[in-house]
Amino acid sequence: MADIIIVSNLVKLYDPDIRAVDDISFTVTQGEVFGFLGPNGAGKSTAIKVLTTLLKKTSGDVKIKGFDVEKDAREIRNIIGYASQGVGVDIDLTGRENIYLQCRFYHIPKDKARQKANDLLGTVGLADVADRLAGTYSGGMKRRLDLATALVSDPEILFLDEPTTGLDPQSRRAIWDHIRALNKNGTTIFLTTQYMEEADQLAHRLCIIDNGKIVAEGEPGKLKGQIGADMIRLVVKGGEDPNIISKALNTVSQIPGVKEVQDCTKGGIDCIEGIVIYGADGSNLVPLIVRSLDSAHVEIDNLVLAKPSLDDVFIKFTGRQMRTDLQKVPPKAGFRRRR
Amino acid sequence: MKTKLDFPMEIAAIFSRWVRKLVRRPTNLTFSMIQPLIWFLLFTQAFQAVANIPGFQQITGTSSYLTFFSAAVIVQTVLTSALQSGLGMVDDVESGYLDKMRATPVRRSSILLGKVFSDGFRIVMQVSIIIALGYVLGVQVVTGLPGIALILIMAMFFGIAWSGISTFVALTTRNSESTLIISIMFVFPMLFLSTAVMPKQFLAPWVQTFSMYNPVSYVADAVRGLIIRGYNWTLIGQAFLAILVVGAITLTATTMMFRRALAK
Repeated sequence: MADIIIVSNLVKLYDPDIRAVDDISFTVTQGEVFGFLGPNGAGKSTAIKVLTTLLKKTSGDVKIKGFDVEKDAREIRNIIGYASQGVGVDIDLTGRENIYLQCRFYHIPKDKARQKANDLLGTVGLADVADRLAGTYSGGMKRRLDLATALVSDPEILFLDEPTTGLDPQSRRAIWDHIRALNKNGTTIFLTTQYMEEADQLAHRLCIIDNGKIVAEGEPGKLKGQIGADMIRLVVKGGEDPNIISKALNTVSQIPGVKEVQDCTKGGIDCIEGIVIYGADGSNLVPLIVRSLDSAHVEIDNLVLAKPSLDDVFIKFTGRQMRTDLQKVPPKAGFRRRR
Repeated sequence: MKTKLDFPMEIAAIFSRWVRKLVRRPTNLTFSMIQPLIWFLLFTQAFQAVANIPGFQQITGTSSYLTFFSAAVIVQTVLTSALQSGLGMVDDVESGYLDKMRATPVRRSSILLGKVFSDGFRIVMQVSIIIALGYVLGVQVVTGLPGIALILIMAMFFGIAWSGISTFVALTTRNSESTLIISIMFVFPMLFLSTAVMPKQFLAPWVQTFSMYNPVSYVADAVRGLIIRGYNWTLIGQAFLAILVVGAITLTATTMMFRRALAK
């Protein structure tokens, strides 16, 4: 498949010298869902605005389906759809009028525009409320309307700037379903998000962006693989007894595949209680751990396998938690030191 | 496919959007009319005695302060209505709707022109209501319906030109409070420092001097001429010249700002 978006050394400076987007390069393949994952202020919206011709870049090169983002802005606008971070619908118009008007922006003839409005309202499940003012819609409904208006031109590439920020889980899932369905029909999708889960669920490939720079790029699965280790928390019965603990430690550290073992009575990163075991393939390690502890006559009280999440990926590459509201969780910055 | 017909079609689409918004929210229509209405109904009663000042009738051509003042109310309606124009633009900036439009193939100039025409439409509606109310209160327009039509045309062009100020402020500040506060400074000071409210001879000397450079004076004088005395083509010509100058400045500045907003 061809690269439909090619971004090379893109820089966007704001006065006086805020490097909103700081020399990023990436490509998006036709037909994929490509994610830009990063916290607020990382430069995601700035980047998407340059790609959608809304913002002039400072330097670098951006090609959308071979068109230059500045010289051929008009051609690009004809083949893309864009849903902004805010809700880009007119609340004084009905849902139907919003879509109809958007059709007119693309020079779709009146009768076809009416048909299109009908079809799209059905697609996003707003047919029942089509003639109500968009101002009366819930947040999720407005987003779906916004999505529908981004689809009037049957865009080859759809740009979605944080399509589900601020939505309840149910509305979010509905938007996800629409995005998947669109992609299945061949639409290339470029989306930004600050939700790990969203990137994990939707994106075939993603860039993690922080402070205007791309800190990691790849398939979500592979990125998680780069963390290199699953984590197994183990609590043994009689763990107050140092002898039992050291016996357990000795036993598990001899299991092939175990990279590192931490004794939480001595403190350590990721420690809450018991023992933390790191290994490349956690699901294979679990039975081995159970068997060896059993033969060493150490009784297991509790055993939990934790797969690395994109959160862990973010921490690995940036050294900090992605979302500040999660800062209460013990800092896991040490993840990096371990490998 | 792009054809020549696209351009008027785009403008019509944007225009109809704003007109619809006007109908959906009647407050948008009444918003800028409340103050002129209060003036019309209260001030003309309170200041009736101004007409008794010796020389009033010789200077103004009417013995009724209400009739004299109706031109001021028309001009005030235009000025306040014009400051409202920027607010619509700010809404679009804040909600992301402007970006949404800009990401489509629609021309930048259509976005502006459709809006400008709808502003003109709104101003004509509002001034029509004021003139109708004036008729009820007893203001006679000596030039009749053709004169009223000319007043409306003048009001529309002046309003479009003046609304460039608030649209410029809106695009610069991108904030509705600032837009309102800054734009409002272009309403009352400009009105009081013009010949709209008092005959020129009654104004303080420095205000007289300022009023000569104030475009509001020329429009007010021309409107008043059409209401009280008849067609004075010198006054009307001067008014249109003033409108042209204001329009050239504000619309150039607005277009520049609109294009610059792209780079931000």
